Amino acid sequence: MKAVFLAFSQTNTERIEYMLDRLGIRGFTYWENVQGVGTVKGEPHRGTHTWPEMNSAMITMVDDAKVPEILQAVKKLSIRGDGVGVRAFVWTVEESV
Amino acid sequence: MSIYKTAVNKPITTLLIFVAVIVLGIFAMTRLPIDQLPEIDPPYISVMTTYPGANGSEIETNVTKMIENTLNSTDGLKEITSTSKDNISVVMLEFQWGMNLDEVVGDIRSYLDMVYDNLPDGCSRPIVFKFNSSSMPIMQYAITADESYSGLERILEDNVINVLNRVDGIGNLSLSGAPERYVYVDLDQNKADAYNLSVEAVGQAIQVNNLNLASGTVKMGKESYQLRVEGEFVESSEINDIVVMTTPDGKQVFIKDIATVRDTIKDFSLEEKINGKDGVRLIVMKQSGGNTVQVASDVRKEMEKIQKTLPPDIQIQMIYDSSESIRDSIFGLGETILYALLFVVLVVLFFMGKWRATLIIALTIPISLIVAFIYLLMIGSSLNIISLASLTVAIGMVVDDAIVVLENIDKHIERGASPREAAIYATNEVWVAVIATTLVIVAVFVPLTMLPGMAGIMFKELGWIVTITVVTSTVVAISLTPMLSSKLLKARNPNLLSEKAKKRAEKNRRFTYQNTVVRMLDKLDAWYAKVLRYCLRHKAVTLLVAALLFGASLIPVFTGMIGTNFMPQSDDGRMNITIELENGTRVEETVKTARRVEEAIMRLVPETELISSSAGSNDDAGISALFSSTTNNKISMTVRTNKKSERERSIFEISEVIRGELEKMPEIITYMVTNQSGGMGSNDVSVEIFGYDFDKTNALAEDYSKRFAEIKGARDISISRDKDRSELQIVFDKEKISKLGLNQATVSTYVRNRINGMAAGYLREDGNEYDIVVRLEEESRNSISALEEITLMTPQGKKIKLKEVAEIQEYWGPPDIERKRRERVVTVSVTPVNTSLGELATEIQKEIDKTEIPQGVLVNVGGSYEDQQEMFGDMAMLLILIVMLVYIVMAAQFESFSKPFIIMMSLPFAFMGVIIALLITGTALDMIGALGAILLVGIVVKNGIVLVDYINLMRDRGHSLYEAIALSGQSRLRPVLMTAATTILGMLPMALSTSQGSEMWVPMGIVVIGGLLTSTVVTLIVVPVFYGVMSRSGERDKAGKVQRKFFFMDMPDVPNEELRVGETEN
Repeated sequence: MKAVFLAFSQTNTERIEYMLDRLGIRGFTYWENVQGVGTVKGEPHRGTHTWPEMNSAMITMVDDAKVPEILQAVKKLSIRGDGVGVRAFVWTVEESV
Repeated sequence: MSIYKTAVNKPITTLLIFVAVIVLGIFAMTRLPIDQLPEIDPPYISVMTTYPGANGSEIETNVTKMIENTLNSTDGLKEITSTSKDNISVVMLEFQWGMNLDEVVGDIRSYLDMVYDNLPDGCSRPIVFKFNSSSMPIMQYAITADESYSGLERILEDNVINVLNRVDGIGNLSLSGAPERYVYVDLDQNKADAYNLSVEAVGQAIQVNNLNLASGTVKMGKESYQLRVEGEFVESSEINDIVVMTTPDGKQVFIKDIATVRDTIKDFSLEEKINGKDGVRLIVMKQSGGNTVQVASDVRKEMEKIQKTLPPDIQIQMIYDSSESIRDSIFGLGETILYALLFVVLVVLFFMGKWRATLIIALTIPISLIVAFIYLLMIGSSLNIISLASLTVAIGMVVDDAIVVLENIDKHIERGASPREAAIYATNEVWVAVIATTLVIVAVFVPLTMLPGMAGIMFKELGWIVTITVVTSTVVAISLTPMLSSKLLKARNPNLLSEKAKKRAEKNRRFTYQNTVVRMLDKLDAWYAKVLRYCLRHKAVTLLVAALLFGASLIPVFTGMIGTNFMPQSDDGRMNITIELENGTRVEETVKTARRVEEAIMRLVPETELISSSAGSNDDAGISALFSSTTNNKISMTVRTNKKSERERSIFEISEVIRGELEKMPEIITYMVTNQSGGMGSNDVSVEIFGYDFDKTNALAEDYSKRFAEIKGARDISISRDKDRSELQIVFDKEKISKLGLNQATVSTYVRNRINGMAAGYLREDGNEYDIVVRLEEESRNSISALEEITLMTPQGKKIKLKEVAEIQEYWGPPDIERKRRERVVTVSVTPVNTSLGELATEIQKEIDKTEIPQGVLVNVGGSYEDQQEMFGDMAMLLILIVMLVYIVMAAQFESFSKPFIIMMSLPFAFMGVIIALLITGTALDMIGALGAILLVGIVVKNGIVLVDYINLMRDRGHSLYEAIALSGQSRLRPVLMTAATTILGMLPMALSTSQGSEMWVPMGIVVIGGLLTSTVVTLIVVPVFYGVMSRSGERDKAGKVQRKFFFMDMPDVPNEELRVGETEN
């Protein structure tokens, strides 16, 4: 089982939800307002007067097989827009109850 | 959940809420009455007291002074003036505008109750008269007739007045100058003397022969009958055959033997002519609260029907209809609003380049404006020139918020977000800023509602309407605009994602928006950034040039090249002419002059459609006499010309022509040609001369009026105090009359009966009563010697001549005594023509300074000029208040004390633009213009905020100071130009309007456009440069500050052993 952490500009919320639906992923945890700054480029999303935009974040636990599908979809989504960023990070879930 | 998110997620609810608002607004609009101005209760109350038998100065000391002293302490009293003339004292009280007059009237009554006991015996109880705007005539008709003239009064009473009285909302209807039927019995004194008959005997004979009397009931058999004597005259000719006496030799003396009976119209002392023909004026007033336009149109309709029922020689013409100018100015303003709307939409389309976006923004305009109608209906106001002009002012501002929101949404969509999400998140980013700019506008307009005085009444509505519409527009911008954006805006075409694809597509379509306007605007942006960078390198020079320009623009102000007025004078095609001839001129002579003047007007002014003139005085003219004061030597005329659009000369030019002609007529002592309209107050400078001594003050007034006549542009100079009028006085020898068994009272009555006439009952016809008057024929009473020969009867039946017991003397009657602030006053008033009120006042003050003012006399320059000074004072206070409030709003927004100053730097330059605009157009600054200057504060500052806010933002985002300024300039150029353009073009129709009543708003349009043009340029150059001067590089360097604060990161590294202290301990 892998944990996929998605950090994305708020304006991508609907697309992310649709993406998960299409991939048949049901479970997730979602933070509507999170701040974030890209490591390399892009405008900071801080929700301040200077940088008014905000990010949302989502974490979902999926079977290992699903991971490539998700990453593929995220890649497709990210080439769409210049500023509307989306990032996915994957790590292993050691145990769960 | 936030408003914009709810709005986007519930589009139907949102849409329907606004549909409901629109429906309510349209409903309100149809229910709103149309009127000239918001309902204003003029704060004037007069107190009238009669004291029969007292002359002016007795009235002054015994009645007027007492009342003045008591009422002087009434709450809210602004000015107290009074007139004391023979028998009557009138005290006029002016209160602060907007006072509750009902309370005031109560106060006055109780004060008067207190003073009543101290008034002389024989004094009537003072009458309190509240001036009401509905007692102003709303329409006047001129009715002329040829053959039917003598019976005109009856015809009009029956067919016109009775019918019109049924119109809803109609108030008083009165006829002025209507011929009244009278039966005169003119006695030949010589014949009467021969028979030893007096006027009284003849009068009595007529009275006793003219009666109906019930004489009881008669019972005959089973029936009972009423017995009546029916002796009343059926026809006036019956009077001829009345027997006055039987001579000792048995001959009967009939009335026809000693007198002539004339069944005719009353000897005229007031003559009405319409276009030189016999006629009467019908004066129409509405009920308080009635809708002028509605009443007037009903009356017109009714009048058309009535016209058909009248004899064909009776012509009915409109002298004036105040609803006409109301309708014209309201439609004029309506047109202005439509043009403004069109211009604003075009500007938005030009800058946005997308019709869907333009549509969304344009929709905010009607919604915001329509809310104003709901407000108007709720407070019971009307569609008037103030409320409509407010809408014109608001139209350019209501789109601003929507533009900001939509631009941001558009930016997100361009970046690839879906319209729905872009709508939510983009609105989230800007809604605080949008509300902050709205607060600035509110800070400007809410204080307007607190303005005192007449300006306060006028601008209260303006303040509220603009505030309400702008607040509504903000609500729309953060609810409806995102919702519509989410539905109407299209997501970016996925095929055009890459830059290359985009360019290829653009190339294929040559004349697209992108290829034309955007390219042009891009070039403009780049050019502006270059200019800005240059100016930033030469800050000192730039600021110096700006300061010099500003200094230069002040020169016209100090050299007096900008005139000042109080209220704009509007051209409604109507002139009132008042002409005064030598005192004591008989009415027949006055009438001749009136004909000559009419003829001259007809010759010189082909534009004339109607001249209605009245000469002389009507002793019982009723309420309407309050509005036209004519005495035997005065003529008053109303001239109506065709509509403004149909002629080349303005009414003011025509007035000048007429003044020139009147000047040439030798018999005319003084004349005035006024173009007052709409009850907006006059435009004059009056010099008040206070002083008790009549001779001193009269001499000074004469001197002033001669001096003022020399001043350029001084017209219609008039002195308020009439010259002494000549009177004839009968002085009795008391000893002689008492020897003859007479007393003054009886002799006075006798004289009155012979000259004025003795009322000898009525002639009844169709239920109407006509006076029968017995008096001497005219030859026996038209000279002093004839008067001396009047025969009187002693109780012993002896005939004596008046000259035996009395002397007839000529003397000068004292004038009416006018007082102001409880002192005697004479006013010399002057109207400016082709010059401004302010300039005229300055010239007059110069003349006054040159003359020596006698001891005990005080001179004050007042009139409209005083009101104007007061108004400018109020406006200046308002300006200070508004600047402070705006500063507070901005300081809060920027969280800085200094940044608002940078923005306010553009204010002086806005005023520079105002001065230049006034100078170029040759307009004088008046109340409305001053208001425009105040509004500028809000509009100008709003532009500055956009720019400075963005500079701050760019610096926070890490750009260096100058780079941030240049970048912001480049990026904010379009929004700044766009808001300026919407406001300027929104005002342009107002500034260019030539419709009826537009004179009022033109100055405001000019002021705002002029101020905004310069201030926009200044905002774009001087504000950024000033920002550069005021800020230090690195001032906003937060990173550096934080580094100094949290210096722990820069401490030397700690040795490794210490780093692991905790670890070893464990």
